[in-house]
Amino acid sequence: MNNPLYIGNWQLALGVIFIFFAGAASLVHKLGLGKDLAVGTVRTFAQLFLMGYALTIIFQLTMGWVVVLIYAGMIFFAAWTVRGRVTEKQVRFFFPTLGAMMASYMLVTILITGVIVQAEPWWDPRYFLPLGGMVVGNSMTAISLSLDRFFSDLRTRREEVEMKLSLGADYKEASRDIFASAISAGMIPSINSMMGVGLVFIPGMMTGQVLTGADPMDAVRYQIIVMLMLVGSTAIGSLLVTWLVRRRCFGPAHQLVLTRSLGGGS
Amino acid sequence: MDGILEGKNVCFAYPGQEPIIRETSFAFPRGGLVLVRGPSGAGKSTFLRLLNRMETPASGSLAYKGRPLDSWDPVQLRTKIILLQQTPVVVPGTVAKNLLLPFDFAANQHLSRPTESAMEQGLSEFLLSGVSLSDHASDLSVGQRQRLCLLRALLLSPDVFLLDEPTSALDPESKGAVERIAEHLCLDHGLLVVVVSHLDFSARRTSPLNFSLSRNTLEESSR
Repeated sequence: MNNPLYIGNWQLALGVIFIFFAGAASLVHKLGLGKDLAVGTVRTFAQLFLMGYALTIIFQLTMGWVVVLIYAGMIFFAAWTVRGRVTEKQVRFFFPTLGAMMASYMLVTILITGVIVQAEPWWDPRYFLPLGGMVVGNSMTAISLSLDRFFSDLRTRREEVEMKLSLGADYKEASRDIFASAISAGMIPSINSMMGVGLVFIPGMMTGQVLTGADPMDAVRYQIIVMLMLVGSTAIGSLLVTWLVRRRCFGPAHQLVLTRSLGGGS
Repeated sequence: MDGILEGKNVCFAYPGQEPIIRETSFAFPRGGLVLVRGPSGAGKSTFLRLLNRMETPASGSLAYKGRPLDSWDPVQLRTKIILLQQTPVVVPGTVAKNLLLPFDFAANQHLSRPTESAMEQGLSEFLLSGVSLSDHASDLSVGQRQRLCLLRALLLSPDVFLLDEPTSALDPESKGAVERIAEHLCLDHGLLVVVVSHLDFSARRTSPLNFSLSRNTLEESSR
């Protein structure tokens, strides 16, 4: 394996030239982006170096439970992000989301590192955290899409749901179509990316591996596992979270508790 | 009180809001036609939704066949006390598909699915003789959809029909048809039919029980 070419401090500083291009464009065309550009550049340097230091420390960890704890923290922040993205105020969905994500993604990631990649030990942070991070990051988007679709469909198709309830449907039967379309809304992006991969784009992870000198044929194998695990984990995540949250949209008498807007009807 | 559907001191309010229904008592008999009038926003829809457990009263008690409403399985209860919404809701597909929709629900598995001829007979009974089972439900007029929804509910052999503003979106002819069907359900099928509406109901064959819902409570009225 060839060692990748090292980027020194001077070369890194030289990279800022690209920002000057963008800054010049902002000045000439009065885009007013100068301040954001400066802040963004500083943050990129600071955040990535910080992450680099953190990973250097984390990758030397020899205690499995700390690695798992860090992963649990990542999942928590992902669930928190979902909470912020989905604009639903009436039904509380943070805890079911967190619980479902925690249980399913721990399991999925352990399966990947332990059984498929066969890392030794399974919690080896060099494998566990990056692979787990991809699972959580992609699923976070999928779960947000699913929940958003579920809540908005349940509101707009409220009459239809109540019609079915009024004819003896239980809450699952009354919301079956809406449930299904919410789950597929979450799954479709990861399925689509299976169609375009390699033809339309070279995935970021593979690019990284190739740049650091890995054989493209080896990198491809990793990428295939990653694609498959992302489809699986977005499906599990969307399904489990929407399934748990659906119960909370209905009361004990199988009545829809979600009102059209806050405040209720007449 | 000896009604099939009874209420005693029923109150209802959404959390943190003024009560919509307060201290309401009633007894509706089997086979009766009950007309509840009141201005819009008086809580008429909410009143009906309390009767099929789409809403839960804050206090007071409701009973069906002498047993507290909340002691019945809510899903089974809604096949016996059927609420028809203000706007008739049909699913995409044919008239037959719409009529058979409730028979896919677990709660209705004990009922036998109506045959084609039974459904056709139902259509003519509900003044829909011009409509065929293979027509698309979404192509029907509002009045026809309203009657289709009434027939769909009747196929489940319920005891009670709750009709929420059944005629407010209809032309005079369709309004008359729904009124005749409501009376037909009481007289010939022995059902209790509760109609809430801000419109008049011209009864021809029955002498309805009149109530008014205003100032948040139900009162018997002369007409």
